[in-house]
Amino acid sequence: MHRHPPVSDTASAAVVVEDLHKRFGELEVLKGVSLTAREGDVITLIGSSGSGKSTLLRCINMLEIPDEGRIVIGGEAIGLKKARGGRVTVPADTRQVERIRTKLGMVFQSFNLWTHMTILQNVIEAPIHVLGVPRLEAVERARMLLDKVGILAKADSYPVQLSGGQQQRAAIARALAMQPKVMLFDEPTSALDPELVGEVLRVIRQLADEGNTMILVTHEMGFAREVASKVVFLHQGRIEEEGAPDKVLTNPDSDRVRQFLSRHLSGAA
Amino acid sequence: MNWQLMWDSLPRMLGGMGLTLQLIGGSLALGAVVAFAVALLRLSGNRPVEWIAGAYVFVFRGTPLLVQIFLIYYGLGQFEFVRDSILWPVLREPMWCAILALTLNTGAYTSEVLRGAILSVPQGQIEAARACGMSRALAFRRIVLPVAVRQMLPAYGNEVILMVKASSLASTITLMEITGIARRMIAQTFAVFELFIVAGAIYLILNFVASRLIKYAEWRLTPYLRARA
Repeated sequence: MHRHPPVSDTASAAVVVEDLHKRFGELEVLKGVSLTAREGDVITLIGSSGSGKSTLLRCINMLEIPDEGRIVIGGEAIGLKKARGGRVTVPADTRQVERIRTKLGMVFQSFNLWTHMTILQNVIEAPIHVLGVPRLEAVERARMLLDKVGILAKADSYPVQLSGGQQQRAAIARALAMQPKVMLFDEPTSALDPELVGEVLRVIRQLADEGNTMILVTHEMGFAREVASKVVFLHQGRIEEEGAPDKVLTNPDSDRVRQFLSRHLSGAA
Repeated sequence: MNWQLMWDSLPRMLGGMGLTLQLIGGSLALGAVVAFAVALLRLSGNRPVEWIAGAYVFVFRGTPLLVQIFLIYYGLGQFEFVRDSILWPVLREPMWCAILALTLNTGAYTSEVLRGAILSVPQGQIEAARACGMSRALAFRRIVLPVAVRQMLPAYGNEVILMVKASSLASTITLMEITGIARRMIAQTFAVFELFIVAGAIYLILNFVASRLIKYAEWRLTPYLRARA
């Protein structure tokens, strides 16, 4: 049984990132990063804060527009063009970006649920208004997903009534409702109280076990080792080391990774 | 204090209620449209457009409503091109002049309230909408505007109350709304104190109802704030 069907052609990979550069003003956050996620891959991005891992993730669904480089989602390259005399890069076709985003489920560190809607409304909103799914069908699917993440009883509650862990699980259900090809997680447990981290990680682990393609930014090293098919360590906007979790997280080649792990592995299990 | 006179004045005074309500309702409805448009223009990202919308707000917030009413009612008619224009049948009516002045005034204030509310919508919620594939327009319609409108209700309630009171200025351009009727009756009876007390009490009751309506709207639209308790 293999979770990772052999893929030789990058065109058929779920996500391909090539030589990505991103600057915020003078600061170059990404200095040429390349990454390939095949179908079924679970890639965790680790690194110190400021290493560019969140920016890389946010570039994949164009929440940040990269200055240079190429992003290919499910074989379709995202069109970029220069604007304002070549000083900024913008999407060539916003429709294309919007369409591609529907295939990428995003989970944020701070949940970002829509506060004026109930949990159920949060989950059915985009399927109905973006994908045009009939309401009844969307509701049925939403209930199934809320049940899956263990908060069906909270369907008619508002986000403020939920704990952080419940809100994050609702946010995961909201992302799953779009039936995305790839799930992106941006430090999904970093805003949670320690005792609430486990319930969210359990849900993410289940998604990994079901063969979903996922890219996660995380500080949970123990979790990264368990679920990841590949670990990518970023340092100052470049990939310092990447490979199988057992290799990178226990016997890295890079001294920087070694130092990072010695700071982060204590206490994680 | 002539209590009998106060009591007897009530039916006549209340006869102006219809006009007062028309002034308030008309200018609030039109003002909301103006406010929405101006708030969008001020957030359009187009410098000249933002500047023009900002100048409008600056002028109409910065000058007295009474002056605006006089300028529109007495001032515009001096210009031949205004009298010759197709707008003249409207602009020569004191009722429309009053509604126009009140509309432009409340539109300026409300656009600022709405603009602030739109800017206060958490960026993360907008990002979540865009990440789901919503277009800017759809995210604005489904997420930003509903959150902003709820956010602005308390401040907008204030504006409604101010408008109820401001409608009394229409009496200065011959309109026989509540204050206009009070002034005419005072000219006949010289009972300044009694009759203005009656007029004031009517406005008080109007504002009581208005503030209750706003409170109710707030309560209906923000179950998630109730839920927090």
